[in-house]
Amino acid sequence: MHGRLKVRTTEEERERKKKEQALKVKAYRAAMVKIQEKRLSHELDGEMLLLTSQILLRNPDVSTLWNIRRECAEQIVLKTEDLEEQQAIFETELNFSEQCLLVNPKSYNCWHHRCWILEHSPKPNWEREVQLCTKYLKMDERNFHTWDYRRYVVEKANIPKQSELDFCTEKIKVNFSNYSSWHHRSLLLPLLYPYEGEAQPKRAMSEEKLQNELEMVLTAAFTDPNDSSAWFYQRWLLGYSRQELDVCAFRCNNKHAMLAFTNPLILDAKDVAITNSEGTVIIKLTNWHSINKTKADNVWFFSLTDNAISYKEFPKEAFLEINRSDISLKKIILKTYKESLFYFKSPNQQHAFSKNVLNELQSQLESCESLLEYEPDSKWTLLTSALLMHAIDAQKYHNKSLENLEKLQKVDALRENYYKDLASRWILEKFLLNWMDSDAVPYELDLRSENLNALYYSQYLCIADKLLLPNNLTNYSSMKQLQGFSIFEY
Amino acid sequence: MSDDLPDKFDLIVIGTGFPESCIAAAASRIGKTVLHIDPHEYYGGVWASFNLESFCALLEYGNGSDIKNTKQKWYINEQLNPEMGAEVGNSNSDSETHAMAEDTVVRKPIDQQWSREKLLQQSRRFNLDLSPKILYSAGPLVQLLVSSNICRYAEFRAVDRVCTKFQNQIINVPCSRSDVFNTKDLNIVEKRLLMKFLSQCLAFGEDKTEEDTLLYRGKTFREYLQEQKVTEKIRTCVMQAIAMSTDETPFEVGIGRTQQFLGSLGRYGNTPFLFPMYGCGEIPQCFCRLCAVFGGIYCLKRNIDDIIVEADTNIANVVLEGKTIKAQHVVSAPCHIPTVLLERNVGIYGQGELVNSLSRGIFLSAEPLGSEELNSGGGGVNLLRLLADTREAILIQLSHFSGTCPKGIYLFHLTTAAQTDQPEQDLAPFVAQIFNTETDDALKLLYSAYFTIMGRKSTSSTPRVDVSTPIFCTSAPSYELDYDNAIINAREIFTKLYADAEFLPRAPDPEEIVIEGEDPRALSENSLPDDLREQLRELEKSAEHMDIEDTEGTSVIEINQVESESQQMDAE
Repeated sequence: MHGRLKVRTTEEERERKKKEQALKVKAYRAAMVKIQEKRLSHELDGEMLLLTSQILLRNPDVSTLWNIRRECAEQIVLKTEDLEEQQAIFETELNFSEQCLLVNPKSYNCWHHRCWILEHSPKPNWEREVQLCTKYLKMDERNFHTWDYRRYVVEKANIPKQSELDFCTEKIKVNFSNYSSWHHRSLLLPLLYPYEGEAQPKRAMSEEKLQNELEMVLTAAFTDPNDSSAWFYQRWLLGYSRQELDVCAFRCNNKHAMLAFTNPLILDAKDVAITNSEGTVIIKLTNWHSINKTKADNVWFFSLTDNAISYKEFPKEAFLEINRSDISLKKIILKTYKESLFYFKSPNQQHAFSKNVLNELQSQLESCESLLEYEPDSKWTLLTSALLMHAIDAQKYHNKSLENLEKLQKVDALRENYYKDLASRWILEKFLLNWMDSDAVPYELDLRSENLNALYYSQYLCIADKLLLPNNLTNYSSMKQLQGFSIFEY
Repeated sequence: MSDDLPDKFDLIVIGTGFPESCIAAAASRIGKTVLHIDPHEYYGGVWASFNLESFCALLEYGNGSDIKNTKQKWYINEQLNPEMGAEVGNSNSDSETHAMAEDTVVRKPIDQQWSREKLLQQSRRFNLDLSPKILYSAGPLVQLLVSSNICRYAEFRAVDRVCTKFQNQIINVPCSRSDVFNTKDLNIVEKRLLMKFLSQCLAFGEDKTEEDTLLYRGKTFREYLQEQKVTEKIRTCVMQAIAMSTDETPFEVGIGRTQQFLGSLGRYGNTPFLFPMYGCGEIPQCFCRLCAVFGGIYCLKRNIDDIIVEADTNIANVVLEGKTIKAQHVVSAPCHIPTVLLERNVGIYGQGELVNSLSRGIFLSAEPLGSEELNSGGGGVNLLRLLADTREAILIQLSHFSGTCPKGIYLFHLTTAAQTDQPEQDLAPFVAQIFNTETDDALKLLYSAYFTIMGRKSTSSTPRVDVSTPIFCTSAPSYELDYDNAIINAREIFTKLYADAEFLPRAPDPEEIVIEGEDPRALSENSLPDDLREQLRELEKSAEHMDIEDTEGTSVIEINQVESESQQMDAE
């Protein structure tokens, strides 16, 4: 057997590892005890830094030790007036945290420690931090800690937004399967290229840029349809942002008034009044209550019993005036129904995109359709074309987009209810749009024959006298908004 | 020196090329005593890499065995022409510094930037491969290097781009997902079709009854491609660069190669290929290193006079410069079998007539091949497969990032299967495709070299193999991208030698090895990784002057010992 190498058996190796582990535990405990003792006696000195660094280099996620280091740094800095010396102390901390980042580049504590150091040091070098991020993102372009930190230091370093966008584009070129870099774009583009058109809800960015982004994101989506990051970015581009705050429904008779908004808000006593065409205030509506008795709500109720007013006192041309800085439409013309005034604006009304974007959407839709010829069951393509149709012309494509959603319920059965809910939303949107111009408004809202899986936009329904729900949705009938305007009691 | 060698080995290996080193390492690894000899003064045989000076010398004088038909040519002057330098306003003395700062001044013609002298000054920056190879990231060699743990001796660079010729242009083959995403040549539906086609290929054959598989059985890969919904450009890329096929390649082979290509994607870098840093000559040496770690003995520059097989014992007596050493088996590179042995006409395993195996060309230029886009970031390792009629060749472009040439120089390896003993003539149709000398924008060459790598091929006159022969002959490098055939060859011979032994099982890391007389269960400080050892020492030092009950720590160890002892007793 001479000259042959002997290798440990797995059992021997396991035992050796245990001993190694025990040794580490011993060393760790010893250091921790020492650290606690020193802290109790306020010895925040160089030795403390050394002790904590030995542990943190092995495991950078001990928050306590980072806190202690910060205390140390503060103490040590106090001992000198010299800025250079102070800077040197912070520099050491900065270098140390970078060593720890090499151990765990996703350590919350390390990244946070860097922020703290830079905020406290006399001469923070923000450019260097940006370069550090670039280096780390080269190693792992999906590390969201780095992206987050990058946004922070880029802001401080006054890096032009355009160059940040270019950097982000490069990262997407390397690997587009990256939620972080798409998100980074979504923050930069609206600032760099703000939307200046009229459409509501507002587009995220200028039409021209929007067109570029749509093109890019669809390329990614077509290259790998199974990667969800691109599809999510596309949905954001197509305007699935939160709806702008707006009045969506109002009704008032001689007993009470109901006012609904797209989003919840806190309504102030001074906010609302009914005026005539000359702008003279006829009635001040001051005593509003949230109908769900919450602080912020999207439906508000006002009882007129205190200062009763008869129908005859309503002006021929009545207006609802809202004095809030966060609502763009201040003066709303009211319609008359029997002995009441009302206003209604159906949800998510599509405002035309510019011609260029519309062409882009149309060509994307065509691409999707030609792709569906080859891959009729492609989930993301079906969903995207449905979303595109909805974005281009919800009315015209209503049936076709619902067909896609129906097909999706089969090919992606795990998300069946998601598609049903989306269909319900679109069906109700269309229903309310028609209702707005029908004779039934605001008397009766009959949803019984609609194929709904869930009830969205409930605040829009508060002005109807009578609401008829499909059988499967009767569990919604307890909602305050759906009690019926004429019989509603607070 | 020979006198110091033991007179008996389990295995004597002659030649330090890839298959020989592989067998030597594998034998040594399973505890066989190995003597590894090379008649040359360098490692690697026809698989070696050379600096520029040694390479020129090798081509000038030949090595008398495995490299033949050599020819080399310089296209630049011996020295930089001082008058020419003066003409563009440089004094002779600082022409060097000006050449370094050339980007800021008007670019000088290439023959004024480089001279033979200047290149040879940087001779040691070159690693010119006799047999250059490209590795599939999930190919057999990478697998072998990983499974045998030999990979720790080697370093690689991911191949930067895979190229192909399309309509007389060199284009980048979009092979990875990000390539497909970024290419401007395809519209989105085409991108989807390409991606779908590729993923279809990857899934191919998982279901043997699949309609497509049956439909194309017996047809060519080209016919299959033509029926796919892909454009001409994509078809060319797939045919030439991904499936590495020709018009005649059968469907199954083409699909197989496509799968190999795709299966190697996404492991390291943007392409499915790796290139060894500092040249392919490193690879056989990695195996030699492992062989030596397990006790193999190395002797370079030793000539073998003869090998005599004892009829009764079947033991080989290798006559090494007058001294006879006994061995159970002998493995030799094709060109190192002693002539006297061959003349006796005994059957040797793997033997054959000496033939031209590969026609090789090596070219140096100061410019990379193809557009700037193909060489962004200073160019890298680019791979281009060329076709001419029914023949094919592989071109590898290397930049200084691969550690095979100095900065500012691009090295091109061209390889094809030898047709004649005129390598230049064999390679001419391919050279014409890439270094077209007739156009003005043609790549300006600084140096070119041609040579033939010899191999053996059995013919009707080859003596029949004696089944009991203890002498085995390896194969010379064949025309292939990766090391597939070379590994098959090494494995086959190893199995003949040691039928039941495992071929290159994982080698232990240094810290797993037990030093003689040491308790294998003990925690030796020396076996800890450096950084941990240092830290533990520091921690212990800082814990030393503390009053803490470390009973807890020690008791853990004791308990473990008791536990494992009782476990051991149970096992007994």
